[in-house]
Amino acid sequence: MVAPAFEYVAAGSYDEAVRLLADGGDEAKILAGGQSLMPMLNLRLAHPELLIDINAADDRQPSVEGGMLVLPALTRHRVLLEHDLVRRHCPLLAAAVWHVGNVRVRNRGTVGGSLAHADPTSEIGSCALATGAQVIARGPGGERTVPASELFVSYWTTALAESEIITDVLIPAGRPRQGWSFQEMVRRTSDFAIVAVAALVELDERADTIAAARVALAGVADRVVLAGPELLTGLTGSVLTGGDDAADAVAARIAGSLDPADDVHASGDYRRRLVRVLTARALREAYARATGAVA
Amino acid sequence: MTRRRLVLSVNGGDHEVWVLPSDTLLDVLHDELGLADVRYGCGEGVCGTCTVLLDGEPVNGCLILAVQAAGQKITTLRGLMGPGETLHPLQECFLRRGASQCGFCTPGMVLTALDLVRRRGRPSRDEIRYALVGNLCRCTGYTKILDAVEEYAGQAAEAAPAEVRS
Amino acid sequence: MTTVGPPPAGERQLTGQPYRVVGQSPAHHDFVDKVKGALLYAADWRLPGMLHGRIVRSQLPSARITGIDVSAARALPGVVAVLTAADVPSNSIVEMASGGLAELEVSMPVLATDRVRYLGEPVALVAAVTQQIAAEAAELVSVDYEELPGVFDAESARADGAPRVHEVGNTLVSWQIRCGDAAAALAAADVVVEGEYRSQHVEHAYLEPEAGVGWMENGVLTLRVSTQVIEHAVTIARILQVPQSKVRVIAAYMGGGFGGKEDMTVEPYLALLVWHTRRPVRMIWDRQESLTGSTKRHPFIMRYRTGATSDGTLTAQQVEILGDAGAYPNLSPRVLFAAAACACGPYRVPNASITSSAMFTNNVPSSAFRGFGAMQIVLGYESQMDELAARLRISRTELRERNFLAKGDLLPSGERVGTCVEVGPTMHRALALLGEPPPPSGPGKVTGRGIGCNRHPYGRAIWFRDKAAAWLSLQADGTLLIRCGVTDLGAGQAASLCQIAAEVLGAPLDDISIYIGDSALNPPAGGTFATRQLYMSGNAVLQAARELRDRMAPVAADLLGVPPGELEFAAGRVRPAGAGDAPAGAGGAPDGGDGGGVSVTLAELAAACEQRSISTAHLSTWRGEAGSFDPRTGQGDTFPDYTYGTHAADVEVDTETGQVRVLRYAACHDVGRAINPMRVEGQIQGGAMQGLGYALTEDMGIDDGYVQAGLFANYLIPNAQDFPDVLVGIIESGEGKGPLGARGIGEPPIGNVAATIASAIQDAIGVRPAQLPMTPERVLALIDMRAT
Repeated sequence: MVAPAFEYVAAGSYDEAVRLLADGGDEAKILAGGQSLMPMLNLRLAHPELLIDINAADDRQPSVEGGMLVLPALTRHRVLLEHDLVRRHCPLLAAAVWHVGNVRVRNRGTVGGSLAHADPTSEIGSCALATGAQVIARGPGGERTVPASELFVSYWTTALAESEIITDVLIPAGRPRQGWSFQEMVRRTSDFAIVAVAALVELDERADTIAAARVALAGVADRVVLAGPELLTGLTGSVLTGGDDAADAVAARIAGSLDPADDVHASGDYRRRLVRVLTARALREAYARATGAVA
Repeated sequence: MTRRRLVLSVNGGDHEVWVLPSDTLLDVLHDELGLADVRYGCGEGVCGTCTVLLDGEPVNGCLILAVQAAGQKITTLRGLMGPGETLHPLQECFLRRGASQCGFCTPGMVLTALDLVRRRGRPSRDEIRYALVGNLCRCTGYTKILDAVEEYAGQAAEAAPAEVRS
Repeated sequence: MTTVGPPPAGERQLTGQPYRVVGQSPAHHDFVDKVKGALLYAADWRLPGMLHGRIVRSQLPSARITGIDVSAARALPGVVAVLTAADVPSNSIVEMASGGLAELEVSMPVLATDRVRYLGEPVALVAAVTQQIAAEAAELVSVDYEELPGVFDAESARADGAPRVHEVGNTLVSWQIRCGDAAAALAAADVVVEGEYRSQHVEHAYLEPEAGVGWMENGVLTLRVSTQVIEHAVTIARILQVPQSKVRVIAAYMGGGFGGKEDMTVEPYLALLVWHTRRPVRMIWDRQESLTGSTKRHPFIMRYRTGATSDGTLTAQQVEILGDAGAYPNLSPRVLFAAAACACGPYRVPNASITSSAMFTNNVPSSAFRGFGAMQIVLGYESQMDELAARLRISRTELRERNFLAKGDLLPSGERVGTCVEVGPTMHRALALLGEPPPPSGPGKVTGRGIGCNRHPYGRAIWFRDKAAAWLSLQADGTLLIRCGVTDLGAGQAASLCQIAAEVLGAPLDDISIYIGDSALNPPAGGTFATRQLYMSGNAVLQAARELRDRMAPVAADLLGVPPGELEFAAGRVRPAGAGDAPAGAGGAPDGGDGGGVSVTLAELAAACEQRSISTAHLSTWRGEAGSFDPRTGQGDTFPDYTYGTHAADVEVDTETGQVRVLRYAACHDVGRAINPMRVEGQIQGGAMQGLGYALTEDMGIDDGYVQAGLFANYLIPNAQDFPDVLVGIIESGEGKGPLGARGIGEPPIGNVAATIASAIQDAIGVRPAQLPMTPERVLALIDMRAT
């Protein structure tokens, strides 16, 4: 194991990092938690000339502002798992992070780094889609907001420009009558998802029928995927009691819309099958949480 | 690439080293400082044999650059021992319970388990399992490792109940 | 033939209790060092001026090499050597793994010349002043290939017109074992079941990657490496074309081996780089390099037909085994022999026809891996027993009990079972450990219970005429030195020898130092493999200790004034038998008085021996049983003895996803005698866990010669979360051929697992899995099959 040679600089601020990144061009890479970049360096799959370390660029903690859970991009996975504000305002994310890596990876890995890495099996990415999160990206021209639904382009590729850095992740805070579920199938705990499903269900004011639902999936395509509204028809106004309810039909529809690839852990067909099973389970569990039937 | 001077604080002592920007903390601890208890196992952050505590938190020595560790307190397994190499109580439990076979995973196991017990007081067996998922062992089947950590957590909880409650 | 069996009654009588040290679980010094993090493994040595070595490996599974350009690599500053096949004095390793009994003679180059036969085959070597420069230089070695057709599974390799991996053909070996008339007995059987079972490529995945350091010292090429076999020094000398006395191999304590460090790993490459540069060189394989390029467990195709009477008595078995040897012979002939010898399991089969073949393919070579052929085959014979039980509506346990071997029975090879067969008791104990079957945890979940019995050899095949030597020396101060060429995998190989010596000579364990794993300084013990070290070196140390004690006993008897046969060696002293544990009088000096309560220390005994010119150092060689096997008739001697055991498991299957959760797991083996019960337990728990990975998660996924699971992140060895604790039952029949009646336990406990889990899944879903690993996807397909 030995990484190729590169230079290293620690940026004291995001502005400095953006400047260095713009100067470095193709040959520069941002180093945040390093839990994805460093393995690629050790395996000699990446050959940057310069690493720009942003770990000292920001020391903010998670906060809630204007109905949004604000996660500074350098928020570590461990904080997502344990922080009171995250557990209260986005329990889906806290639950999903339980599945991410191991203690060491969670101590270093960051929410911004994870989204920028754009792994198609990402638990955090699927939660960003399911919650309707946005990222704030800073570039040479200033800041802009990118919805998670527009962020993920393809395998390990985002819509960010080359010299843009994610500084914040904004997640709409959980509301009353909202329920969540995170379902994941792995071959071994802590590994990359075979399939993961993140679901949010919101009930109407009578608190029994569904007013809105969002379903996002990981491990099923070249990026994490948000199920479009056309796939969710029939959920609004329905009650999920188990048995032959709308959850099965929606799950089957979502599964039918996907064409996952084969890999060493599972075939595409099996993944599609899992999408059906896990989506139905996720919708029902999210519904049960929204009604208060499940903690 | 030019080497740069760093001072690393390891196991309570400061060490001056000259490193390349691309040197990982694992490279420097193992090859430069001779800490054989920090080991290369995979370079992917998967196996846990290069685990060290950075300001008390377990990290992958293979996935952090040496230059990033300057200014922080680095603890390896050997740093847990008292004067004259007296064993830490958790090490005693590993020995008594037969929790080491080939021993290659042992430093990472002990450090990760210690972090868990420090944070959680008296974790359940399931919590111990979850905390150790990133420390692979190919010899023991984990049972004796879990036994050792459980025994230590029990001792620690009894020795310092007030601290555990806080 | 040396007589082995239950220990002489003398030891029990003399000590007044069965054993003092044996049967205890003391922590040995190597374990103390391990929990301190102080043990220095093979990668932990650094020498002045040390270079870093790296292998350039083939990028294609089957190709002709049309050119190698090393000029750019040589020109890189910091590069000291770039070597290719032309730099290897004798570029050929010929492994006659079964002593030439039956296999083709095929040589393996150290570095490929004009042809590569698997992805990852070594082509060139680099040494440089830093690891980083070595890695860059390796990337600068430019190899031109012309791709050739390849063959990637054993079945295809056997087909007419299959691409030839080697000129001589693709069948490396084909063993036959025959007894009675299997075809006629099958035709006459009341019931016949049949099945085909398949296993996968599996990686050892020891946590310590292959590593070592080499240097020149006094004209001797010296390697300190992670290896199970220091005897490879001979092969290294042949490669370098130097006298055998000029190569020394030192085995560091290993960070796991499991058979994967039984063949050479870094040794020949380190040797060449040291030889050419005359500087110390370190080589550590990347984990990913190890996953792709190191030897694997053989994938097996196992075809069984089994006949029985209507009451469930086995009458015949036909077995065909095909193993994927990969590109070179390595130890495949022996692995397939072990599979053949164990193909009928712990059952009486009066008519058997067993064929076991190893086929060359363009996959990475398969070789030794804990279980060594005898483990894959358990899925075959145990699946047949469960099928038969289902067909005859007899319980799985009852059917087995009707057919278990007993001492004195004939095996298909025509030899008699020489020790007791306590497999029945292990079965009942394992099931009892599980307790009541748990109910399913919810809707869509089903549970099932499975069992798997096995018969696993310990010791090498008899026709190797195995031997091991040990040297013991009582030092002037009464402490004891042991020298023995054993290598230590981490299972306590060295520690067990100390316990045996302590038992016989009475030296406290803290006073014993053992020197192991050095081909120059230790009497040869043979490698640590084949579950042979407790059996072989344990008997060697036991024999040496008894002989040394017998030599010193008359001196002690003289000092104490009692007959030599009435002495007790314990707690660092010698005293008249039955004198109790009370220490001797002031100063411990022998007073030559009237016996009771008087003793001499081992230091005093050593001094008295010295005065009488009686040496207190002793070398002894222990020889295992000898015998022969006739590959044409398929009859003869196979293995010295076997270890028997049973595992049992409760599983829950999610019928919507196929996910299998192991709820409880129990493993029970007759170990003859547990020298160190805690380590015996550890072996069983670790073996079972490796078996669970083999059964459920692990697969290299080699596809047309390309490894799919080439990262540690996706080669799925079990972690702490996914499987339950392994409950252990130890039975001590006292009737093994190892020291003090011990049987080997290193390999046996990995064998039962896949069959046990398959049995439990079958119990849960009603269909028998026949393909490993039993992934959720495969299990779901079985559930679908049942539904349609």
